[in-house]
This record gives sequence, C-alpha cells and structure tokens, in this order.
Amino acid sequence: MNKLSVNHLLGIKDLIKDDIELIFNTADNFKEIINRPIKKVPSLRDITICNLFFENSTRTKLSFELAEKRLSADIINFSSSSSSVSKGETLIDTVNNILSMKVDMLVMRHPNAGAAAFLSRNVNATIINAGDGAHEHPTQALLDAYSIREKLGTLKDKNILIVGDILHSRVALSNIFCLQKLGANVKVCGPSTLLPKYISSLQVETETDLNKALQWCDVAMMLRIQLERQQIKYFPSLREYSMLYGLTLQKVNKLNKEILIMHPGPINRGVEITSDVADSKHSIILNQVENGVAIRMAVLYLLAGKTKPTATL
Amino acid sequence: MMNLIIRNAKVIDIHSPHHNKTADILIKNGRIEQIAKNIQVPLNIKECKSKNTHISPGWIDMQAKFCDPGFEYKEDLETGLHAAARGGFTAVAILPDTLPVCDNKSGVDYLIKNAKENAVDILPIGALSAGMKGENISEMYDMHLAGAAAFCDAKKSTNAGLLMRAMLYAKPFGSLIMDFPLCKEVATTGNVNEGKTSTLLGLKGIPSVAEDIIVNRDIYLAEYCESPLHFMQISSVHALQMIKIAKSKSLPISCGLSTYHLLLTDEELKTFDSYYKVQPPLKTQKEIKAFIKAIKENIIDVLVSDHEPQHIENKKCEFDLAAYGIINLQTSFAIANTILRNEISVQQLVDLFCFNPRKILKQPIPCIKEGEEANLTVFDTNENWIFSENDIVSKSKNTPFIGQSFTGKVLGIYNKKQWIEN
Repeated sequence: MNKLSVNHLLGIKDLIKDDIELIFNTADNFKEIINRPIKKVPSLRDITICNLFFENSTRTKLSFELAEKRLSADIINFSSSSSSVSKGETLIDTVNNILSMKVDMLVMRHPNAGAAAFLSRNVNATIINAGDGAHEHPTQALLDAYSIREKLGTLKDKNILIVGDILHSRVALSNIFCLQKLGANVKVCGPSTLLPKYISSLQVETETDLNKALQWCDVAMMLRIQLERQQIKYFPSLREYSMLYGLTLQKVNKLNKEILIMHPGPINRGVEITSDVADSKHSIILNQVENGVAIRMAVLYLLAGKTKPTATL
Repeated sequence: MMNLIIRNAKVIDIHSPHHNKTADILIKNGRIEQIAKNIQVPLNIKECKSKNTHISPGWIDMQAKFCDPGFEYKEDLETGLHAAARGGFTAVAILPDTLPVCDNKSGVDYLIKNAKENAVDILPIGALSAGMKGENISEMYDMHLAGAAAFCDAKKSTNAGLLMRAMLYAKPFGSLIMDFPLCKEVATTGNVNEGKTSTLLGLKGIPSVAEDIIVNRDIYLAEYCESPLHFMQISSVHALQMIKIAKSKSLPISCGLSTYHLLLTDEELKTFDSYYKVQPPLKTQKEIKAFIKAIKENIIDVLVSDHEPQHIENKKCEFDLAAYGIINLQTSFAIANTILRNEISVQQLVDLFCFNPRKILKQPIPCIKEGEEANLTVFDTNENWIFSENDIVSKSKNTPFIGQSFTGKVLGIYNKKQWIEN
C-alpha cells in the first residue's frame, strides 16, 4: 500500500491500520531527512497550504509550519481567536475566500467538534484536522503512537494509560482510536467528573486510582488540564487534582518496572506532572515533539500525493 | 365553496355510527351531506379516491413553530398553515417563542385573526411567563379569553416555583400548562444524547437524567396543585416509567412524542450533519422500542411534528453553532404510520393525532356523520411514496427526510368549506 485510503485527515476514526503503518513508514524517511544538514526536500513545491487556526495554538502550529517548510510548500497563515461566525462571516465563506487565492490544502484547528468534517463536505480542498473541539487531533495521536513504536518496537498488546481530563480531550479520543487500531490496550484515569460516562462503549477501561493504573501500564500519557475548555469546575482545585492525579517521581519510583512517560504539551509543571518526572529518563516528551514534524510531513506528503501525484519525495 | 365526494373511505371515528365502516362521503357546502355506498354525483364534483382510503375527524398538531411574527424568513403563517394542511392537520398549536413573544392578548389575536380564512385553525400557545423570561406569570386569563389553547415557555423548562404558580393560577379557567422537561444545570451546554455516539464524536452529551428529574419534579407539582400538566416531548425511558406510574394513580398527566424520534437515532449524527440536530436530541434503538411500547400502553398520548423551520444559514455551519429543529408537519403522519402500522391499529393512530390532542387541549371533537360540519382528514395507510424536495411547501427546507420512503400518505383535509389536497 502506497496511498492513503482517505482524501482528508479528519480523524483517526476514518483510517485503517494500513494507513497508519504507511504514515509511520513515510515518517521514518522524513525523520532521517530532518536530521540531515540540509533538511529541506522539494516534495510539495507548488503546493500552497493555509494554516487556519480558529483557536490558540503554539506547538501544533509551529510543527505544521515547519513540516510544510521542510517540504517546500508555500504557506499562508490565518489566525483568529474567535470563530468567524462572531465576525459575521461563515466558516465556508472564510475558507472559500482563502481557496480563491489558489490554496490546495488546509490545516485547520477549530473549537467546534466536527468542523473539519463539515468543511470537507463543503469546500474543494484537502483538509487536515489539527484539532476540532473535543473530537479529534489525529496528528497528535499519530505522533504519540509513532513515538511509542520507536521506543518499544510495537504497540501490539502494550498497555497504554491516558491520565487527566478525558471528557474534554481530543488528544485522548484520537489516541484511543489510534492505539486500539495498532493492537494496544487503553485505559483512562482521572476524576470521575472528567471521564465520559460511556467511554467503556469504546472498549476502554477506566480507573480512578492513579497508582493502580500505573501498575498496569507500560506507557503513561499525561494530559494537560485544560482549564480554558471547562466552563464549570470539575474538581475543586489544581492542588487537589495534583494530589490525586499528578505524576510524581515518588509514584514512578514505587513501580518495580520501567514505564514511558508522555505528554502532548504544553506541560503544567507541578500539576499533572512534576518537573523531576518530566525531565527524567522515563520521559519521551521531547521525542514526541521531534516526531511531530516527521509525522506531519508524512501526512502532508501522502495527502498531497493523492491530489497532485507529481509530488515526489 | 368546495363540494367533495370521498370514495370508499373507512371511517375511523368512535363517535360516529359509521365507525369502521367503508362508504362514500359526500360533502356539500361544508357539511357532510351523505354517507352511503356508491353515492351518485354529477361529474363535475371533486372526487377523492385512493386504494386504502381512511377518514377521521381533523387532526391537531400540538407543537409547531411558524416563526411569525419576527422570523418570517424561516416560515410565515401562510406557508406554515399550508404545510399543516398538506400534513393532514386541520388545526395546529403554535409555540410562543416568536419575536415579540406571544405573551399577551394581541399576540394571540394576531395568530387567530390571520388564520381565520384558512382551512387550518391556529391554536395559539401563550407564553407561560411574561416575555418568556421565566420570572412572572403572563396575563394568562386575558390570553385564554382571546383563544390561547395552552401555556408554556416553548422549550425553556420552567422553574419549579413559576410552574407551580402557573398551574394554580390557570386552574380556575381550565387552561392547560405544558412543560419541556430539561434540567439546564445537568444538561449544561450539551446538544446531543449522551451515549456511545456523543463519546465517539467528542460532542457534549445530555444525560437522560436531565429529563427524568424534571419529569419527576413536575409530577409532584401537578399532584400538589391538582392540576393537569402536559409534557411536550418525552425522550427518556425512565421518564416514561414515571409517567406510567403517575397515570396509574389517575394524576392528570399527559405527554407527547415527536414523530421523528420514532425513526431516527443518534447514529445519524456520525457525520456531524446538523439536519439531525434536534431538541430533545435523537436517542437510540433502545428508546425507540420503549416509545413504541409506551404508545401501545397509552402512556404517550399525542404525537407531535415539532415542526421547527430553520434558515439554511442556521444549519449549514459548524454542528455546535447550528440551530435545532427540522420541518416535520408534512412528514409527521407518514413517519408514524411507517413505524407503527404493524404495532397499533389505525384507530390508535388516529387517537394520537386527533382525539387525544383534542381532549387535552379541550377542543371540539368533530364527528363524521351526516349533517355535521366537515372537519376531517383523509389518508391512505398503505400508499408507498418518497418524500422529495418538491413536496416541501415550508419556506425552510431543513429536513433530513428528502428521499425517504414512507408507507402511508395524507390525501387531504376538509375544513371551513375548503378541501386541501395533498
């Protein structure tokens, strides 16, 4: 298989296992390239990409932008902290205006779940979802799984724990889909108020005791507490959250095994993870960031290849 | 003045001597002149004929929005009433959340006067609270005198104190109070059913308990006030169980179900299609089974269209930003008949569309017998048809049913000396 089964990357839900393997294998090549002295390849020359961010982002946006630049794409950026609707223009109008300037691909982050899927049905461009509400963040899940694969060799039968605000997390949802497609077992851990009641319908187990959950896992993925996404308080204080669900070196050292520790960033040091854990040998947080560029290059390259077959590596 | 002969129609009207009998019905000058086999009429008289024709007293839809005044770009009284006629209804109860809100006599007058010449009557539902603000009770007595058929704050669930005062206040003049059961504090910003689908889609779900606790609360309030209470739309299994218990104690509780909840489940939302964004949200097959059971057990009293026109701009946008609602007056009976035809009798179906809403709203019950004024609905329970965009007479086209096959079709209504053929 050398082509993706999809024309857009809207979510991991839509991908088959072979798609994920193809993205990983392509990312292997790009990872080698970005570690060369000359990091740029001409693969996406003549392809124009708009990074459309309706929600604040630092690292995802930087990572995409760098991936696009490494592939020699032309880039334009559009950022708006509020939805276009509040300015009186619909999302479709905003995007069609941009597309009229001969843009081929859109990387979009949007505060509403389903926005990328909605757009893909209504405009003529390749869409990459860079996060839509609490729905999906597919490139994050791909880079997370890729990073685990890099360290552990395979995802199959590995026990992966996701800790934190599962209810509002697109990272958790995409990771659940991605890890399961690759044969891993997924458990989520957090305060009951932040665990979706029906998460077990996705064949995901829940655990509210972090120490027990850590005993079970090979990999612990700590999620950022996203206070900006919570309209109401789901736990009394960051202090109490940290007491119950913060990952400390003491908790890690109590385990009689090595586990990988991950975080999608940005880290709230001292809340979901203490500095000594984040900076410890267990942590692969910076590997995740590096792999993010390679994964995004792979996704951009493979999707561009579907619409413009001349794109070459 | 339309004269009409309806051929070979089975009469569904328990009050009529012709109940369950098949005959021709001749209507002249707005009255049923003759009911008999093979009536001979001049060639120029309008004839209604189908393979499996049924006739019943005119149906009432208990919950629709015509968006007039204020949102006439979505629907107005003329197009809304036309949609109602094509859907088989000779009267429609209209929710009060217009602009301005229908919370006074002149608002009620406006609706009644504008429908006076129309074949379909409007039964205005007045706002329960002034301005629908949920604070003070509106001038319900004045609106009642003007013709308001019931009171509610549309789909804003009423707070307990206000609801209690409204029920007590309206009791002496016998007006019906209705409530849309949804606890805002539990539902928060949810806009779909909480379940597997909402989890898969990362959409904020509304737990069924948000409906259950209000139904429970309201039943206690109705019992305390000794006053009738109608739940506009029920969508939860537990809520139905509570209503069943309340009815077994002879409490004056009634409830409605929107017909589209019999056909659609939340799985339709998998592509984030906002045409399936409705309130209450679509549920699962488990609830559909419970709805059918509750209909058979007479726990659900009425089927409503919950006709809610929306402009395309309010639907063709991100799911969270899209407005609720579908237009359903023209498809309501077809959905119900398609789903229920092998579950209940035609008589029971007519109860849900005609007799029960008439009793709950204290509206006159027309009779299919000679000499009576003709207020009736004619329908075929076996006709297979496909709903198409060209069928839509509403101003808005927000329906997920284009291209949908149905069994059972409205053939027309006759009311106020007018025959509106579908």
